[in-house]
Amino acid sequence: MTNNPFPLPKDELLAAYRTMRTIRDFEERLHVEFAKGDIPGFVHLYAGEEACAAGIMSHLTDVDRIASTHRGHGHCIAKGVDVHAMMAEIYGKATGACRGKGGSMHIADLSKGMMGANGILGAGAPLICGAALAAKFRGDGGVGITFFGDGASNQGTVLESMNLAAIWNLPVIFVVENNGYAESTSVDYATAVDSYVDRASGFGLPGVTVDGTDFFAVYEAAGEIIKRAREGGGPALLECKMIRFFGHFEGDAQAYKAKGENDYNRTNRDCLKIFAGRVTSAGVVSAAEIALIDREVAALIDEAVGQAKGAPLPSARDLLTDVYVAY
Amino acid sequence: MARKISMKQAINEALDLEMRRDPTVIVLGEDIVGGAGAPGEIDAWGGVLGVTKGLHAKHGNRLMDTPLSESAYIGAAIGAAACGMRPVAELMFLDFMGVCFDQILNQAAKFKYMFGGKAKTPVVIRAMVGAGFRAAAQHSQMLTPLFTHVPGLKVVCPSDAYDAKGLLIQAIRDDDPVIFCEHKALYGSECDVPEESYAIPFAEANVVREGKDVTIVSYGLTVHRALEAAETLAKTGVQAEIIDLRTLSPIDWDTVIESVETTGRLVVVDEANPRCSIAGDVAAHVAQNAFGALKAAPQMVTAPHTPVPFSPVLEDLYIPSADAIVAAANKTTARALAA
Amino acid sequence: MTPKVGIIANPISARDIRRVVASANGVQIADRANIVLRALAALAACGVAEVVMMPERGGIGGHVLRGIERARGQSAARFPRLNFLDMKITGTVEDTRCAARMMALAGDVAVIIVLGGDGTHRAVAGDCGTVPIAGISTGTNNAFPEHREPTITGLAAGLAAMGLVPPAVAFAANKTIEVSIDGGAPEIALVDVAIVTDRFVGARALWRTETFRELYVAFADPEVIGMAAIAGLVEPVTRREAGGLALILAPAATAAMRVRAPIAPGLVEMVGIQSWARMPAGTVFTPALSAGAIALDGERELFFDPHQDVAVRLVDRAFHTVDVAAVMQFAARQGLLLDRPLEGARP
Repeated sequence: MTNNPFPLPKDELLAAYRTMRTIRDFEERLHVEFAKGDIPGFVHLYAGEEACAAGIMSHLTDVDRIASTHRGHGHCIAKGVDVHAMMAEIYGKATGACRGKGGSMHIADLSKGMMGANGILGAGAPLICGAALAAKFRGDGGVGITFFGDGASNQGTVLESMNLAAIWNLPVIFVVENNGYAESTSVDYATAVDSYVDRASGFGLPGVTVDGTDFFAVYEAAGEIIKRAREGGGPALLECKMIRFFGHFEGDAQAYKAKGENDYNRTNRDCLKIFAGRVTSAGVVSAAEIALIDREVAALIDEAVGQAKGAPLPSARDLLTDVYVAY
Repeated sequence: MARKISMKQAINEALDLEMRRDPTVIVLGEDIVGGAGAPGEIDAWGGVLGVTKGLHAKHGNRLMDTPLSESAYIGAAIGAAACGMRPVAELMFLDFMGVCFDQILNQAAKFKYMFGGKAKTPVVIRAMVGAGFRAAAQHSQMLTPLFTHVPGLKVVCPSDAYDAKGLLIQAIRDDDPVIFCEHKALYGSECDVPEESYAIPFAEANVVREGKDVTIVSYGLTVHRALEAAETLAKTGVQAEIIDLRTLSPIDWDTVIESVETTGRLVVVDEANPRCSIAGDVAAHVAQNAFGALKAAPQMVTAPHTPVPFSPVLEDLYIPSADAIVAAANKTTARALAA
Repeated sequence: MTPKVGIIANPISARDIRRVVASANGVQIADRANIVLRALAALAACGVAEVVMMPERGGIGGHVLRGIERARGQSAARFPRLNFLDMKITGTVEDTRCAARMMALAGDVAVIIVLGGDGTHRAVAGDCGTVPIAGISTGTNNAFPEHREPTITGLAAGLAAMGLVPPAVAFAANKTIEVSIDGGAPEIALVDVAIVTDRFVGARALWRTETFRELYVAFADPEVIGMAAIAGLVEPVTRREAGGLALILAPAATAAMRVRAPIAPGLVEMVGIQSWARMPAGTVFTPALSAGAIALDGERELFFDPHQDVAVRLVDRAFHTVDVAAVMQFAARQGLLLDRPLEGARP
């Protein structure tokens, strides 16, 4: 084994791969299960975008907060939310992360610093400013990361939050997950200047654009940005250009995409394939080690689906609980 | 020891006491210090009407002026609350909630339930409400019904300095998001207020006047209109019982029902517009739960179904008057008198 | 056939990590569009009637068209006719390469104006054939394009394109450095090739000096920013003289000598140097490092493994650029931009 030329030790490389593989399998499996009609409501899948969540979350601990989006499963898994509890939640079960009251779009685990997937686009940006403000008052070195898409980047909340974070010098990182589609509407149409770095410049924040299908590009850029924020260097923006393998939500026929676009991306721009190829060809990780993780993750997801399907439904009394701490 | 102070001073005192007691209490809002970054004095305003004046000298950077970005800073207060702080955010005028309602409606109000009970959001949003300042349609509304409608929010609207202090202290200590509505026309009103800290529990209505003939339920400024009306009614031999709800969510139904069971008559006075109002809510609840006790149809005295007008002559017509309350009370007693 | 001018404006340059690790600037899309409009106005003043431009999705083209539309609404035709190449947009460097190829193949594009950093110019130079480039810096590390007002670059490009300046004066030859792995098709660098110990492309930029091992430069100018600055501060080599410089680098702590060099905007770092030598054109250099990444003009682009052979070679007279200074001097001497003299007036 040669020296490891990557910016992460081998165990962290394997952990990053495991995270990305877990997200991928979780989403691919939901795609299948949703089609069977067993999953209620709206489900927005993160498949194809794994390198962004994993590359950023590799730098975070539980003291760091993230505010996620409607497409939040990947962020949850990368931030350490329990996969079984997530799966049960998506099935609307009493054992779910939110006892079946939130569903796919509202999975949260504040103990892990995961402030919730969010059904309102751009709503996480003000919230994460508050999380970062709390971290600043506590002096715990925590940072706040808010994720939003190319679509939600046009929400006033996001722009207002950039200004607030700038004037208060909050440890906030604005992550634009640019997959090219705001639901079905192309970024070219909906965004006057589709460089999000320019948006940041308008508030005096540094912005960086990276290839969101390259784990190492995300990891390295996020590392510098997060370190800077932790040390009091203030907010910044990171734009990850990425690929959404599925539609906006499950059931989306994706007629707005170009013919062959999904196939091309799955063949050439799959962040897991790119990652595995790089670490194995450098001789740091073996193909057998990758295959072992693949098997373990497949078993984990099987188990999670099995448990979720067999889990109890919420009881009628659960309808009325948890509205207030005390009323 | 009690002394006479204004509601404005009482609110200031409550904030000061809670900031001293609990280091996680922070206060943020537009101009709450005033003059941030400007060449003149710091704490130049202390809030647009001076409610927070002087707190900056005592608590420094725990009071933060914000940019004019209601979504961003109300959202930040909510986010900080979800992360262990107890922020008190001032929205200046409750009318501005239109700018940032998502953060209140879909974030603060929903976290606890949506996350299966695993979150708490102890944020207080203070804002001025009510008409009478000649401030027209966008700075004068009584929007209490909009917030009361939303599960997950608590809504408070004190009618005097004593209640304001005790209810605000309770609001800050409360673990749920609280919309704290301060009637701007009451800021200057004085009453006896103890110097020490005290909390008034939510959902405990205050019977501000006892009477056996008609129950008048109200909150905020119109409690005082109801008291004026009661004086007039007393001259005609009608003894009105006046209930100040103090908190609209949660609400003290028991006190209202008990009173109506005694008087058999109900007048609800609400400065909000009539449709889907607190007045309609109380009238419906009483009709459903104490129908047998009612001797006459419940009466609602509210603002008309119009925006708040500017011209003083119109605005004075807009706000529920003592005369209108007397007329409504007389309507409930008319059949009894005729009989 | 009336000569056309091509414009390739990269919407993606100046977006990398150097905005965070240093204080590199970001040229906003609207600014890039304004630069194009200034160049267009200058081209029109020289008599250029038609310009072809690379289409992109970054918004530059849209802003340029809006600018032209507004000017048309206001008054006279200040701008040449503008057409966009009919090509598939990928949002990657392939767009720049494709546009350069199409402009070279068209036969009637006399000059290509390029907006971008070293990376953009490298992509154009690799595919523009014999068509000269007029470079405008809108990137991060801009060792290659000159820093000057785009209106002047536009004037020089226009005068050269219209044939008003002899080619020998208007155009200058430039060196490149070619890198090939296992004898494959070479990649080129216009300024420098750095061999670093990273084995991933990652965030592309170079800022961790401890990873630097070897450096090959086409020219070593002490006034430029980036990796070439290391060489420039050791032994200057001009753009126009033959050959370049090859340096062996090492971590500063252990190196034979050290130089404080501006390796990125706002980042002046101590870099260790073991040795250096002139790099004659045509001679193949083989990196001593067995595996690592290869940075072209300051950005990690390629990586190689122990079993692979890397060859580095300097090429003289590889492509041509518009010599803006020479063109403008010539224009002044020949009165190219003087209006028709008044009746009876004598020079």
